[in-house]
Amino acid sequence: MQLGRVARWVLGGITTVVLALIYLPLGVVFLNSISTSESLTWPPPGFTLEWWRRAMHSEGAFEALGMSVMVALAASAIALVLGTLAAMALSRHRFFGKESVNLLIVLPIALPGIVTGIALNNAFRTLMGVQLAVWTLIIAHATFCIVTVYNNAFARLNASGTRLEEASMDLGAGLFTTFRLVTFPHLKSALMAGGLLAFALSFDEIIVTTFTAGTGVTTLPLWILQNMFRPNQAPVVAVIAVILAVVSVVPLAIAQRLTAKDAEAVSR
Amino acid sequence: MEPAIRLRGLHKRFGDTVAVADLDLDIAAGEFFSMLGPSGSGKTTVLRVIAGFEQPTAGTVELFGKDVTALAPFARPVNTVFQDYALFPHLSVIANVEYGLRVAGVGRRERRAQAEEALASVRLAGLEDRRPHELSGGQRQRVALARAVVLRPQALLLDEPLGALDLKLREQMQVELKELQRSLGITFIFVTHDQDEALTLSDRVAVFDAGRVVQLGTPREVYDHPRNPFIASFVGSSTLLEPAIAEAFGLPAVATAVRPERVTLDAPAGGVRGTIAEVIYTGPEHRIVVDLEGLGTRITALEPNMGAAHERRRGDAVTVAIDPAGAAALESEAPAA
Repeated sequence: MQLGRVARWVLGGITTVVLALIYLPLGVVFLNSISTSESLTWPPPGFTLEWWRRAMHSEGAFEALGMSVMVALAASAIALVLGTLAAMALSRHRFFGKESVNLLIVLPIALPGIVTGIALNNAFRTLMGVQLAVWTLIIAHATFCIVTVYNNAFARLNASGTRLEEASMDLGAGLFTTFRLVTFPHLKSALMAGGLLAFALSFDEIIVTTFTAGTGVTTLPLWILQNMFRPNQAPVVAVIAVILAVVSVVPLAIAQRLTAKDAEAVSR
Repeated sequence: MEPAIRLRGLHKRFGDTVAVADLDLDIAAGEFFSMLGPSGSGKTTVLRVIAGFEQPTAGTVELFGKDVTALAPFARPVNTVFQDYALFPHLSVIANVEYGLRVAGVGRRERRAQAEEALASVRLAGLEDRRPHELSGGQRQRVALARAVVLRPQALLLDEPLGALDLKLREQMQVELKELQRSLGITFIFVTHDQDEALTLSDRVAVFDAGRVVQLGTPREVYDHPRNPFIASFVGSSTLLEPAIAEAFGLPAVATAVRPERVTLDAPAGGVRGTIAEVIYTGPEHRIVVDLEGLGTRITALEPNMGAAHERRRGDAVTVAIDPAGAAALESEAPAA
């Protein structure tokens, strides 16, 4: 479609404004992390690496980082196993209630975090009568992490159809051999992408986390929230926020590249 | 002799759709057997039932005297060449061909040797390390063949294997398939919607329509004596004559199918007079449509291209006759499935 010159300028302008609104605040956070001002003031009076040095020595922040990574890894691992199994079941078999199961698996990503949070909090404490702890948090995260793994695996399995698996069985391979030699290699990059997305989702999750983490279980986002308004901590928080942004963006970028490259390979 | 493949009372329903209706079929060992029919006629379903990808709703599949109806695809002594080849994209050509041997536990060196031999037999030596996406359609086709025959199956199932190839390549592959089948000496079951391919390659052809075999015979039987109007027009082309028209040509007064090459336009006497309505030049021959005088219908004739000097023209008067041996009396339309 050809656009007139005016239309192109206007659309370009709108795009610039929207992107600026999203990314300028990120830049501000970065500036704050190297500003000499202790409260998040604008414009920064001068620049220093003091906050980065202090952040590097902040035990709370590093414990929280460790906790976040551990929870994200565990939730992603659970999601990888269950998401793959669910995708195999739903793409390869016909059974009663299949559509509903599909919806139920995907729903957690659309549900407001606050609803998931309250529901799980109630389920853990009232229904099951257990103390909130790290594992309750991991399970809570796994509920929405499954979605990204499942969606990626399901899309890949549906795109390829059953032909490769049929060919494998025809050549004498049983179910497990077929999964090991054909289905899994074919799914690998989709699972990788799904797993990385799951990791990123879990890593910066705060709402569900608030409702399902046991006392003393502090993830990085929780730590930031707790420290944001404490005197002298604001610039350190900015430092952590920058780290958090980088840690979340990198897996996303890798995941996106994996998916694009594979879509290409599959279509060939 | 015991048939290689015996289907008894085979019935397959998908929901409310009947894909295959009460099929009985015996296919002899070493036979090149084609299943020919339009899409949706059930031929591919029969192939998939033989391979084990589909469970029949009713009926049995016997391979070499053994009932395999309940066996999984990997437990059946047959292999398949798939329509889209279904090569494993993450494996090299040689690894694709080795696949079946690998899962059967054949040693590394032994399976490499066998796979290379199979690749050589389809004239693909030297491409071992390529990936499927780096091959042309014809090459992929050969890999798929090598991958199946390396396992020395008792029967090879081919699901429209040439459908994706262009005409020249298809003709070449037809010859190679036939040679391969002769040298292996195994049963080939070949599914196609291309009547030309079926007639060229097969020892016997089963014509499918709406889930049933409507005619079974040698290519000559099927082509020269189509049993009903569907077969007469699906396998090759025919002019269908009403009983009264057939009678006007001196044939028995029943519905009759006539192949255009059995129609003569310069009959000495006793022919039906007509006027040429259309002359279609196809290269090797002319397809000539004639308006039959006083009969209110047309007939198509085929004449070899003998050069421009012999070309007929629209409006020319001709005397039409039909070789009685080339006219096929038809049964009424096949019963609706």
